[in-house]
Amino acid sequence: MQNLVTLARRASFFPTLLACVALFILMVMTFFDVILRSVFNSPIEAATELTRILMAILVFSVLPMISAGKGQIAVDLTDGLFARLRLSRIRDALVYLASGIMLIWPIKRVWILSERARDYGDVTEYLSIPVFYVGWFITLFTAIAAVAMVVTGLLYVFAPHTLTEQPR
Amino acid sequence: MTVALIGFALVLLLVLLRLPIVFAMGLVGTFGFAYERGGDIFSERGLKAAMSMVGRQIMDTAQDYGLSVVPLFILMGLFVNKGGLARELYAVSNAFLGHFRGGIAMATVAACGGFSAICGSSLATAATMSKVAMPEMRRYGYSDELSTASIAAGGTLGILIPPSVILVIYGLLTETSIGKLFVAGILPGAMGILFYLFAVRWTVWRKPTSGPAGERHGWGERLKALRSVWAVLLLFFLVIGGLYGAFDFHPLNLTFSPTEAAGMGAMGAFLIALSRGGLTFKSTFEVLKETTHTAAALFSVLIGAQIFSNFINLAGLPEALIAMVTAYDVAPFVVILMILGIYIILGCVFESLSMLLLTVPIFFPLVTSLGYDPIWFGIVVVVVTEISLITPPVGLNVFILKGVVGDVSTGTIFKGVTPFWVADIFRLALIVLVPWLVLVLPEQMGAMGH
Repeated sequence: MQNLVTLARRASFFPTLLACVALFILMVMTFFDVILRSVFNSPIEAATELTRILMAILVFSVLPMISAGKGQIAVDLTDGLFARLRLSRIRDALVYLASGIMLIWPIKRVWILSERARDYGDVTEYLSIPVFYVGWFITLFTAIAAVAMVVTGLLYVFAPHTLTEQPR
Repeated sequence: MTVALIGFALVLLLVLLRLPIVFAMGLVGTFGFAYERGGDIFSERGLKAAMSMVGRQIMDTAQDYGLSVVPLFILMGLFVNKGGLARELYAVSNAFLGHFRGGIAMATVAACGGFSAICGSSLATAATMSKVAMPEMRRYGYSDELSTASIAAGGTLGILIPPSVILVIYGLLTETSIGKLFVAGILPGAMGILFYLFAVRWTVWRKPTSGPAGERHGWGERLKALRSVWAVLLLFFLVIGGLYGAFDFHPLNLTFSPTEAAGMGAMGAFLIALSRGGLTFKSTFEVLKETTHTAAALFSVLIGAQIFSNFINLAGLPEALIAMVTAYDVAPFVVILMILGIYIILGCVFESLSMLLLTVPIFFPLVTSLGYDPIWFGIVVVVVTEISLITPPVGLNVFILKGVVGDVSTGTIFKGVTPFWVADIFRLALIVLVPWLVLVLPEQMGAMGH
């Protein structure tokens, strides 16, 4: 069980790297877009659509990590109360399980939307990148996030010791 | 309206059970939407409509061009901070203000203000500045009350002085111009610094031992200190000036959209950090990683908030409120006062972002229907949120200070914060009574150069 958690943490390096690269490209591209537009009067025409795609990549590739690692923004007002009642663990387990399970429906829906885009043959304006790739990417990583949360929830119930050091 | 209120209460309940905000708002928003559309929570027609709305919301938010300002501005702040900006800003303000009575606390406030100009988060501003300023104030024998309070209060400026993540979120929720919101934040932010300086003066006037004067620095030293921060100051003026349209003249013709300003800022900050040798491959990766994590968390929350807001609108809560205000013939100003009261109460328990996400969808339509300016309301909301950061019992900035400093009780910090809190209330009153203070700068925008 511990191996599984370690493996998951190691594997999370790759999507993190992907997100970082996307962000770096976004920064450099925006910079050169402004420079090229103002100095040479020739903006990067595809900048807008690339920005959209890079945003989806950088947000959704780290979604599993932040979802499973307490990275989602929550209100911790009642933490003290739960700790006093010794209910923290069971509460965390329930929160993770519920969050992961309720994502099933949005995942299905996003999948349907991307398949629809594929049927219509939707492509981006300048680079003709098929829109459904982005949809697939969002679907895939939301699904990974959902699985990661369900697994984390189960670990809270059955093997809480494996979760002692939270990757932050 | 009842349905919306039940939904609202449910979100509060789920959030208090520590369900992440995105799931609480998303869940209630989805089923609420289904109820409004299908007349029953589980009706097939309603659920289908709701899911279709949710799917669209996820796809659209993730690929929203305007939202790209969020990661880029966070990135800018983190890069600049890698170069040791906090320490240098502090050295500069200390060189100019340190020799006054309470001067080192005043320098802290000023440095917080400067740091906010790069960093969009109040908590980050407070956390960073406390590491830099606290040892210095201790060295000069400043009382714990004054030193912790000046950092906690100074840190709240982070969300008002542009760039500000909270203002971006407000802009997106309400479809208000982010550029104008940023520019509108400048004057109230500057007022914040000024009033906090008075709060420091007041504290040392009441109790002179709490903040003795530091040593006087000569002009040589001052200029030397300034030299270390000129690049960052220049970057700030470039970014905000570009947004404002200050470079929109021949032959430059340069006006930035918020995304472009953020991209220029991030790249500039990256180059500054690189040129100072403060960046390794590893630290660059760490900065990028932290940015993506923060951005992903913000985006998630935003998706949840939009789903919830769609439900609130469909349930007609804003219209019901408007109808109520008209029926009882309440003066618009009284409505504003009531809203502010609600914010201050909510602020006692809620953290700024959650408060904004929960309340703006409800109050915004009401306030604009009363004829108030959306930009003005945004700034007012942020100022109230700032106040909530230092209001007991859950002033988050105070807790951050407690976390970093350790050996000071939250009671001491809250006590020290009181004059700053009063200064904030005074500033809020001014902004509410004289909207001109907020609107004068954004109204000039676009008028220049055209």
